Amino acid sequence: MTSHRLLSTYTWAFLIFMFAPLVLMVLSSFNDASPPTVTEWHGLTGKWYAFFWMSDDALRADPVLRALDRGRLVACMGNSLRVAAVVVPLSLLLGLAGAVLLTRWRTRANGVLWWVLLSPMLAPGVVLGLSALVFWGRLGVNAGLVTIIMAQVTFIAGYPMLILMARLQRQPIELEEAALDLGATPLHVFRRLTLPYLAPALISAGVIALMASLENYNTTMFAKGGACTLATEIGAMGRNPNGHPPVINAIGTVIIAVTVLAALAHTFLLSREKKAS
Amino acid sequence: MWPAGSGPVRVMSDLEMRGQDVRLEGMSITYPNGFTAVQPTDLHVRAGEFFSILGPSGCGKTTILRAVSGFVEPSAGRVLIGGVDQSGIGPNIRPTALIFQNLALFPLMPVWENVAFGLEARGMSKRKRRERAQQLLDLVALGDQCDKLPSELSGGQRQRVAIARALAVEPAVLLLDEPLSALDLKLRQHMRAELREIQKKTGVTFIYITHDQGEALTMSDRIAVMNAGVVEQIGTGDEIYSRPVSAFAASFVGEVNAFHGRIAAVEAGMARIDTAAGSLLGRNPGGLGVGAPAILFVRPELMAFGDHANAFSAALVRRDLEGAFINYAFRTADGQSLTLHQTNHGSPAPVSDTARIGFAPEAGIILPEGPMARTGQELAVQ
Repeated sequence: MTSHRLLSTYTWAFLIFMFAPLVLMVLSSFNDASPPTVTEWHGLTGKWYAFFWMSDDALRADPVLRALDRGRLVACMGNSLRVAAVVVPLSLLLGLAGAVLLTRWRTRANGVLWWVLLSPMLAPGVVLGLSALVFWGRLGVNAGLVTIIMAQVTFIAGYPMLILMARLQRQPIELEEAALDLGATPLHVFRRLTLPYLAPALISAGVIALMASLENYNTTMFAKGGACTLATEIGAMGRNPNGHPPVINAIGTVIIAVTVLAALAHTFLLSREKKAS
Repeated sequence: MWPAGSGPVRVMSDLEMRGQDVRLEGMSITYPNGFTAVQPTDLHVRAGEFFSILGPSGCGKTTILRAVSGFVEPSAGRVLIGGVDQSGIGPNIRPTALIFQNLALFPLMPVWENVAFGLEARGMSKRKRRERAQQLLDLVALGDQCDKLPSELSGGQRQRVAIARALAVEPAVLLLDEPLSALDLKLRQHMRAELREIQKKTGVTFIYITHDQGEALTMSDRIAVMNAGVVEQIGTGDEIYSRPVSAFAASFVGEVNAFHGRIAAVEAGMARIDTAAGSLLGRNPGGLGVGAPAILFVRPELMAFGDHANAFSAALVRRDLEGAFINYAFRTADGQSLTLHQTNHGSPAPVSDTARIGFAPEAGIILPEGPMARTGQELAVQ
């Protein structure tokens, strides 16, 4: 076998391992069978999706769906969004501050600061969750959404910081010096030069922070106390010894669809921006 | 490049500004890593003067500029602008504007916003800013390019936007950090004239940093020649070219023939120096004493064919036609290389393999032995 064929075989195997489970998940989300399967086709159905908006009567009539707590699942989803709504702006703010500090304020402590600010990204998620739980517990804050937010922000802020740093490093320092030299205050320079320059990076960083917050499981699991998020709830449902309800597959399919659409939109906008410049 | 009837002369009347003098008092700059970029320096740039700081890269000239603009604090000594000590005054407060080597135009702002940025920072209304930007862009013949982005302009146009942007804040001192180095030769020569004209019309003090002796000689009222953090000589272009005071100044500005040796005899402003190429007579402005290690410098255009007080028999190595001049390279039997520039009179000079060449004693200047500027050949192999 030539090395070329070896490589392409490996690539295909890699792609199959990566995408086959997703394809199976999407297919089974349309199969009228629970627990989800694709080997036994019981007919096309949309009820695993309709679960979220069907009437209570229809819900009670279904043998599988009536066992599920729809109200709780929706509430957990709402929690996820609430957590993300705080985590995303907070990590953007912290990440931006860190990025400006590390790229613009060159001090001897920068090397140490870099590791301090990024270490939460490398630390095991359970440790972060647990430490947030203990720390805020000592301060009298009960485990719940607040501790989830705090635990998530500690490591999610690192992503925006890295993305914004990369962008800031590409902006010549002379631009800011020129603005200062023309009489602008540092704040004015930041608002008129740095921020517009960072705008695309801020959007990407925001999306990545949103994803990281929504999908986080391990850290959230330890910090959540009695609260729940979509990720922890799916985790709980997935641990069902009789197999998980296909509703989870439906949620997964929607998430994939949204992700693919967002990626397409991003590519489209990028190509248009390139054409314009 | 200016359309007929427009250009700086006509519009400048409402663009007159007041230049201020700049004084460095024992200013030195040592970086945190211990490197001293500028040795203690005293320098006085007069108000409304076009002053160039000329030196090779790394000689500390940009550091001086950054100290005047306020981006670097002196480690010792003071910077005074218009008689006012600038210690602790930030670059956004000082009456200076800096034109960066890479111009540092704001890429996301249209041209007019670039020019008006300093006015925006001063809180001027948008309508007035736009008006003023238009006026300045008319001045640099870019009045019809207001709404373009800097990336849509040519190199020379960007250059002029940078000038307009710096002038918009009506600085007392304009600092220019090799702003022409990115342009091609023709445009560079043209911009020299433009800069000089803008400087004259506005009356702003220009401090111009360059490693290009041609730029310094053509534009400046006075020039400071710098090497290794030390200002070696300050004077007009004529003074520096004809009466250099150090080996470095002599060899960095213009081409020279250099003869290393020791002073053999001294008499009434002249001296005789013993070199490998023989005993030569030249001016001794520094009053060097007998026995002192010294170098005799002669400009190639002051060398001539025929017998002179200082003469050599030398073999022709190369004859290069450079248009107005013909450049000859010779080598003596002792291994001394000599260059001779002769005005091109149109008749092909018949040159044999060897010739008698030399120079008058007044053409030679004897200076103390010291570091010389690196030649092009040395820079090429670096």
